[in-house]
Amino acid sequence: MDEHLGERLVLNVPLGSLSLRFNLMTMIASWVVMVLLIVLALSLRRGLRQTIEEKPNRAQAMVDAVVGLLQSQLGAGFSSERLARELLPFVGTLFLFVLFLNWISVVPYLGGAPTEDLNIPISLAVMVLVMSHVVASRVHGVGGHVRGLFKPFAFLFPLHLLAELGRTTSHSFRLFGNLFGGGILIAVFSTALVPLVVPVGLNLFFGLFAGLIQAFVFAMLAVIYINNLVNE
Amino acid sequence: MLQNVQDVASQAAQSAQVLGFKYLGAALCMAIGGMVPAFGEAQIVIRAIDGMARQPEIEGALFRAMIVGQSILETIAIYCLIVSIILLLVV
Repeated sequence: MDEHLGERLVLNVPLGSLSLRFNLMTMIASWVVMVLLIVLALSLRRGLRQTIEEKPNRAQAMVDAVVGLLQSQLGAGFSSERLARELLPFVGTLFLFVLFLNWISVVPYLGGAPTEDLNIPISLAVMVLVMSHVVASRVHGVGGHVRGLFKPFAFLFPLHLLAELGRTTSHSFRLFGNLFGGGILIAVFSTALVPLVVPVGLNLFFGLFAGLIQAFVFAMLAVIYINNLVNE
Repeated sequence: MLQNVQDVASQAAQSAQVLGFKYLGAALCMAIGGMVPAFGEAQIVIRAIDGMARQPEIEGALFRAMIVGQSILETIAIYCLIVSIILLLVV
């Protein structure tokens, strides 16, 4: 069992002296999630075509509930109404993507959640980092934003860079570590200790509940990081 | 010949000792590193529930701040988990 914990199906593409390594199960699972989200969005959008006097149909009610929840929970973290309106689609999509990536871990034979692979949390965290700097430069202008990095003293610039690095690292490792720890616990319980009823409960807790919490935390921290950088 | 056997035996004993310390280090790292952030998170929950009981109208904002603060504290435990995983699987 121990041998299979860290083992993954890897596609190796040699490229001169370097080589590209693709983690197959992660890629398959994340593409499945992407297709699922896009199809869901398109089909729900078709369900929204109705006049305003009608009683809302089921799709409308569901989308209303989800968007309302995202607005009240994530959008409230932004400092200004305009920022919330502009960035809620980005942060909401991040939340839904991470949520479905976590939830797909309860599907058997997919090799756990794709977020248990460090590549996905790191790429999402780097995306948040780039997005926060883009938004901050758009609000303050590129010069103003770069000048803001040298405040209050010019010699604090390396510290600012270090803070960005640490923030992105902790942002990605938080998601990875939580999911990976849960995955290890489920693997140990279901292969070595009690393979019967307990793994179902563990999957319920770590896959569905902790997955929801961690997705919310990831999106909430993205909101806070972007907001802090804009308000600096 | 005897010298050789003694060398091999002492090497094996040494590597077994190193292995033992590896497991001990991973276990201690996870035990202490799980215990200390748990106390911190408990403090956060206590204060948040105090605040919620006093002012139920800001319960939503308090809950959000509580979850975010807990997740930031939990990073310490996650770092410990990663250190012990590196100790077990990589080193």
